[in-house]
Amino acid sequence: MSRRSFPCRATGGELRDLEQPGYYPGYSTLAQKKSWEEATRKTVTERVEKTAPIRFFSQEEAALLGAVVDRVMPQDDRAEDRTIPVLSVIDERLYKNSLNGFRYEDMPPDQEAYRLAIRAIDEMAQSRFKESFTDLTVHRQELILKSLHDGKPEPDNAVWHRMPLHRFWALLMEDCATAYYSHPWAWDEIGFGGPAYPRGYMRLENGLPEPWEKDEQRYEWNEPIDSLSQLEDSH
Amino acid sequence: MPHRLGPMQVLPSPVRRFADHETVDYCVVGVGSAGGVLVQRLARAGFRVVGLEAGPFWDTEKDWVSDEKGSHELYWNDLRITGGTHPLALGANNSGKGVGGGSVHWAAFAPRFHPSDFRIYSEDGVGADWPMSYWDLKPYYELLEREIPVAGPVWFPWGDPHGHPYGPHPLGGVGDVLVRGCTKLGLRSVAGGPVAILSASHGDRPHCIYRGFCLQGCKVGAKASTLITHVPDAITHGADIRAHSMAARISLRGDGRVDGVIYIDREGKEHFQRARAVIVSGYAIETPRLLLNSACPGHRHGLANSSGTLGKYLMAQAGNVVAGRFDELIRLYKAPPAHALTEEFYETDPRRGFARGFAVQTVGPLPVAFAKQMAVAMGAWGWGMRRVMMDYNHWATLGVLGEILPWEDNRVELAEEKDQHGLPVAKVTFNLHDNDKKLIEFGRNKVMEIMWAAGAKQVVQESRYAHLVGAARMGSDPSTSVVDKFGRTHDVPNLFICDGSILPTQGSANPGLTIQALAARTADYLIRQGDTIFYSSRRDQEEPGIRYDLSPPYTHFKGNPRIA
Repeated sequence: MSRRSFPCRATGGELRDLEQPGYYPGYSTLAQKKSWEEATRKTVTERVEKTAPIRFFSQEEAALLGAVVDRVMPQDDRAEDRTIPVLSVIDERLYKNSLNGFRYEDMPPDQEAYRLAIRAIDEMAQSRFKESFTDLTVHRQELILKSLHDGKPEPDNAVWHRMPLHRFWALLMEDCATAYYSHPWAWDEIGFGGPAYPRGYMRLENGLPEPWEKDEQRYEWNEPIDSLSQLEDSH
Repeated sequence: MPHRLGPMQVLPSPVRRFADHETVDYCVVGVGSAGGVLVQRLARAGFRVVGLEAGPFWDTEKDWVSDEKGSHELYWNDLRITGGTHPLALGANNSGKGVGGGSVHWAAFAPRFHPSDFRIYSEDGVGADWPMSYWDLKPYYELLEREIPVAGPVWFPWGDPHGHPYGPHPLGGVGDVLVRGCTKLGLRSVAGGPVAILSASHGDRPHCIYRGFCLQGCKVGAKASTLITHVPDAITHGADIRAHSMAARISLRGDGRVDGVIYIDREGKEHFQRARAVIVSGYAIETPRLLLNSACPGHRHGLANSSGTLGKYLMAQAGNVVAGRFDELIRLYKAPPAHALTEEFYETDPRRGFARGFAVQTVGPLPVAFAKQMAVAMGAWGWGMRRVMMDYNHWATLGVLGEILPWEDNRVELAEEKDQHGLPVAKVTFNLHDNDKKLIEFGRNKVMEIMWAAGAKQVVQESRYAHLVGAARMGSDPSTSVVDKFGRTHDVPNLFICDGSILPTQGSANPGLTIQALAARTADYLIRQGDTIFYSSRRDQEEPGIRYDLSPPYTHFKGNPRIA
């Protein structure tokens, strides 16, 4: 992995190497797993305990996509042993060729789409910065990815004339979001109740927590000050 | 371990198995919303029925989880090609696979269509009229509302005002936002339904526990799916339901009648199920695909396609999601995603400059779905995605449910690509037209206005589409439609279609209840016609008269309460 931390400024100091980012300190969905039924407990526990090996991507492809994923779904604030696997989830889906039920007529199959995009991103890095994408500084990586996000690849690449860039970006974001936000550590981060069967919820209104949930404790949370992936209106 | 259908119900045993060489009365292709009701009715009436289902026969305790990613297998994930100017997302968005079909992962909103939906060509000069009226279907709406059953307000003021047999659900945070915003703008709203989710226990089905995983399959058994409402009764009455059985084509005899279905089992082995009549209930993509794949001499452009309309007039509803961020906590994951709505904008208002209208409904995306929506609605990625998701509990989401008109160029065809069985897959083409675009623009802005009125501090929206109907529409004229008002194909006297694909228009109501009501009516028709279906080509267009003695157990109520 080409993970590289850079500090997140926030009130009270830097946010890094956190066990649990977010506004719900001390909240743990996994701590509730004795209240879940067996099938769900098994599915969620395996997701935490088992990380699939890389089988679809080559070593080089995995390194490059890993670097992309580290910027698209950054986890520099998380402690190393609390990092949520994203790349391996994408690799597993493509290895099994598990589809989502459709393919846009102007898109190649998912497996091919990823291979094409990886090639394009590396060529873009080489042509713009004369370096492999994986070796670029975080800022330069973000410059390239931001240009993809904006639909204006800088520099342009032949792949984006064969494959609609906005569709690949959407595919990448969907895969990254699925991997990250299906993980119970991400549920803790955002205060999601997680599985709740057979127990269920009893406080439906006014955003009130269940006895086993936690109240929100807000503080000023800032992205890295120079990151290009901030929301437009977040400051 | 017994095969469970919800925590309290067990799959009836034994399940009947007809031998390969036996000829049955009805072979139903697809055991979903419509197919589940059909096999139940036909079995109860004493017919020999086989239901072929491409997906698994779910054991809800073993196979289902309270988890978004872990529920992937509930959807039709096999390849389909999607295109056009506004390509539809398929799979989890609108297609189920397995016994219960899409009713396993629907949100279970169960509003009726309005009387006007059946005659929009007469009233507005757009789309098409149905070959039947609301009043023909009304007794079936009432019957299915009792059978599945529907919980909701006693006062539902739109369309044909009606009440609901089970009481409304308590309000969740998102429903509160909808009611608050509507009230500020002087719009009527209802909460706690109408949804096909139990607000009190019913027979061997427990009441809702508000865990929010409706779209992932209801392990609780509170949300209705035909898997738990009709299929058990079908099996008790001798229906043979075969899972992992993918229909490949329908076989046509020399005399122009069908004689069975060729299907492929789990091991890839081909079988031929002989039947005296065939009903296709595969929903708006698989139904036309099967009929197109069944092309044969005399039906070169697809079985029952002499009109050339098979696959055409496919519809999806506008399903724009409007998300609002509030200072206070909402926790949108609690309570059923479907639980409050307004239909104030349902009917045509000439001042708006477009025909027909839309509903506004609560939706409740869980974290993965919400993150995907924010990637589109806000362009969130990287640290921006992490930031917006940390506020997950501050967001509420409302959906437009807008009527898109039936257009000939919105269609299902066969693609070059083949599936794992070697069968050509469906290619879906979807384009928005002028009226649709105006309607969506107005609807989206109206829902954003409701969100602001409710007190949101930030409002964003994502364009998307919900549900699928049409592509084998019903009509009185055999040159412009595929089936008659009872679902019988105009071209083949013992071939029927019964599912969402026969809808000529779609209104702004979720189609599930209407699909099931139509299935119960078609079943009554078939039962009343008796053996004549199997040998005669006579086409009786008399309403069959509703049968109240064919409902599953525990579903006999005195009526559906309403306040006049």
